[in-house]
Amino acid sequence: MPAEEMGKVSRRLRLAFAISSVAFVIALAISPVKDLRREWKRYKREYVRFAQTRPDTKRLLADFRPDIDQIWIPEVGVVDRCTTCHQGTSQPSLAGLGVPQPFRAHPAIPHHVQEWGCVVCHRGQGPSTEVAEAHETTLAWEQPILPGKFVQGACGSCHRGDLPQAPQLERGRQLLAELNCAGCHRLQGIERPAMLGPDLTSIGTKVSREWIYKWLKEPRTITDADGNVTVNGVENEEEPRMPKFALSETELRALSAYLSVQQAKPVEAVKFDPRVAASLSRKPDLADQGELRFRQMFCSTCHSLAVTRAGESKLVGGDIGPELTKVGSKVKPEWLAAWLRNPQGYLPHSKMPRYEWSDQDLYEVTQYIQTKLTDPDLLTNVPQMGAPSDDEMKLGRRLFLEKGCASCHLIDGIGSPKDFGPDLSALGGKNVSQLEFGASKIPRSLISYIQAKVVNPLSVNAAARMPQYHLTPSDLDAVTTALLSMTGTPASSGMGKLIVPQRRAEFHPVGEFGRLYERYKCYVCHQFSGFGGTLAPDLSYEGSRATRDWIIEFLENPQTLRPTLVLRMPQFNMTRQEAAVIADYFGTVLQHPEVNPTTVSRNEFTPQMAALGKELYEVKYQCQACHTIGSSGGYVGPSLNNAGNWMTPAWIEAWLRDPQALVPGTIEPRRPFTENEVKALTAYVLTLNQGSAPGKRGSGAAGARGE
Amino acid sequence: MRTLVLLVGLASIAGIAACGKKTSVAAIDPLRNAYDSEPDWNDPQRIIPLSYEQAQGKRIFSQQCVWCHADSTPAGPSNRSNVTPTPPLFNDGSVLNSESDEFLQNIITLGGSAMGKSAMMPPYGKTLTQEEVRSLIAYARAIAVPLYQPPARSSTKYSGK
Repeated sequence: MPAEEMGKVSRRLRLAFAISSVAFVIALAISPVKDLRREWKRYKREYVRFAQTRPDTKRLLADFRPDIDQIWIPEVGVVDRCTTCHQGTSQPSLAGLGVPQPFRAHPAIPHHVQEWGCVVCHRGQGPSTEVAEAHETTLAWEQPILPGKFVQGACGSCHRGDLPQAPQLERGRQLLAELNCAGCHRLQGIERPAMLGPDLTSIGTKVSREWIYKWLKEPRTITDADGNVTVNGVENEEEPRMPKFALSETELRALSAYLSVQQAKPVEAVKFDPRVAASLSRKPDLADQGELRFRQMFCSTCHSLAVTRAGESKLVGGDIGPELTKVGSKVKPEWLAAWLRNPQGYLPHSKMPRYEWSDQDLYEVTQYIQTKLTDPDLLTNVPQMGAPSDDEMKLGRRLFLEKGCASCHLIDGIGSPKDFGPDLSALGGKNVSQLEFGASKIPRSLISYIQAKVVNPLSVNAAARMPQYHLTPSDLDAVTTALLSMTGTPASSGMGKLIVPQRRAEFHPVGEFGRLYERYKCYVCHQFSGFGGTLAPDLSYEGSRATRDWIIEFLENPQTLRPTLVLRMPQFNMTRQEAAVIADYFGTVLQHPEVNPTTVSRNEFTPQMAALGKELYEVKYQCQACHTIGSSGGYVGPSLNNAGNWMTPAWIEAWLRDPQALVPGTIEPRRPFTENEVKALTAYVLTLNQGSAPGKRGSGAAGARGE
Repeated sequence: MRTLVLLVGLASIAGIAACGKKTSVAAIDPLRNAYDSEPDWNDPQRIIPLSYEQAQGKRIFSQQCVWCHADSTPAGPSNRSNVTPTPPLFNDGSVLNSESDEFLQNIITLGGSAMGKSAMMPPYGKTLTQEEVRSLIAYARAIAVPLYQPPARSSTKYSGK
């Protein structure tokens, strides 16, 4: 190669070198440029620009650092970098929807973000610094953030007990318990009760085979006249506990055959006094008398009936017991009388109290139920099936086990299967890859899976044994929230320490009172030291509040203290002796530690004090806004007509000073009364003694009885 | 020629980088991220999203206030018609919108008589915490009909997207 040509080649080479060097430098530069352009850095810059448009720029930028921000709480294992982009979370001036995300302040909640981090409530991936990685499901991270709508599910992961601040979670937990989900599934915090569905050991003595067939076929629409999906023919907000199972005609026949022969315990026929029956059967208004008795005894406190007014049917009454609109066409007459006489004779777990019936009352009420609470069309579409055959009964028994009936219902000799359905106690923490979506086209996420499964179990699993539930959209979201809260045992012991456990209380007195407590089922409606129902007043401190005479009189003939309530204490027809046993137990055991009824005597209240109290009541504090005296006043608090006989002076005083100290959560506001005002108001309240039988009172008829 | 290729290459790199900058603003259902919700009392079709604080207000309202400041209550009938002067409904914006947060805070805390209104409105200052009273006001503002407009914040030109 000549020397002069070498220069040429080298020039070309040099050019190639130059270009490739430039390309190399550019390629090298991409990396730092890319780092400069990271998503979070862009949000950092945007935040600075945004802060400069706000009046309080200085405060907004006081803690600003151009690096990644991180909340690190090693004891709980929190490493959250969310605040790298969400920079305004703790800036009160950035509250409200007017501020664009990700800079908006976090709405006020009881947990401070710096103490808890973000992921503990919102889930998602804390250490990530990219929007998609942090928020969404990716290949490496399957737990997306919870939509705000379901965020209460995260509350429930730690707060295992009652949490009124999270209404949707509470509703969901309530539904899971009421719908007997614990019959087949293991759930976190919801234990399987002793009895879920009714005991079917003797179901054949109660209802006919045709009725069983109809009930199994359409438990929701059993008395629906116009074909709408309603419960017992009326719009009802409560989901019926018995769900609809997909059963074929053969299966319906087999199950109804098997169940109709379950007659382990024969009905103990109630023998009416023949003279009573003979004299009553001639009365033309027998059923009307029965209806009157039914109303007087306040059966509607627990049972509802459909009432049609202006063409619109509505269920009126309580929901502790079953709805009874058409029960006369359901149960056999001899079973009904025996049941009313002694419910626990048929169902030992029944919540129904054992009333003290006179023959006449029982006869009239059964006549009323059998003639008025009926529906002649109830069984019109049911085929005549005749006597059950052996094959049907054999198949029925097999189906009873296969379909999971035994999970909720008991039949002698058939034990309830363990863990019939999948364990759901850790469902809320499941990854998408652990779920079976089958052939469904729903989005691949835990939330859409839960909702599809509840709405239509067959949509995600063609072989599902689970029955179908019909939940309203808001109830469906509530159930989803409650299931999302069930994340099982926390991964780290630090998280385990955060768990607020569920509190459980039991109150099972023994002795003579214990027997009456069980017989009249006081705890179904009343609370005793945290145990029992919430329908009626808490009786934990009833011995401090009410006088012995008043308790006895009330139990013998319950009069409502709250005139607007539809649901009232039923009349148990208990004897005076029984009432006295209860009143004595209350007086000795159910005492408030701070209120001793013997310390304040009625004698210390003078008519002058009562006159001042009346003025305070009517003018200064206007208590009549909520309380009734005579026939005027409000409906919010109890009527005070007989308050002087009802309450002890010690209780009235203590109540006026601080109602919430005696009954936490009571709605009577605590007022800034002076000690003189407390005494004067107490004196006035003690003068209110209308409605008591005259001359019956022996105790403390002191000067304060002014009226 | 090569320079041109280079320039095109550079431009495309810049372009790709710029693409990432556009944040996709998808229309999100406002109820999807709401802590709780409440149907408009006059129009059940309209569902109002509630924040945590407003939801707490709703809870306290249904315990304490619903008896006189609503026409239906958890127990059925309302005490509202029993009380004279008739208390305003809790969502009545025509009455409440013109009152400041401070006034509402005071009347709930100190009672009606302290603020020159009916003594039938009891004081809740010893029953509810100030935080709970604030949540009640937040709830009343959220459900107000006509809609509540907070007093304009001065000296800010920024408006939300």
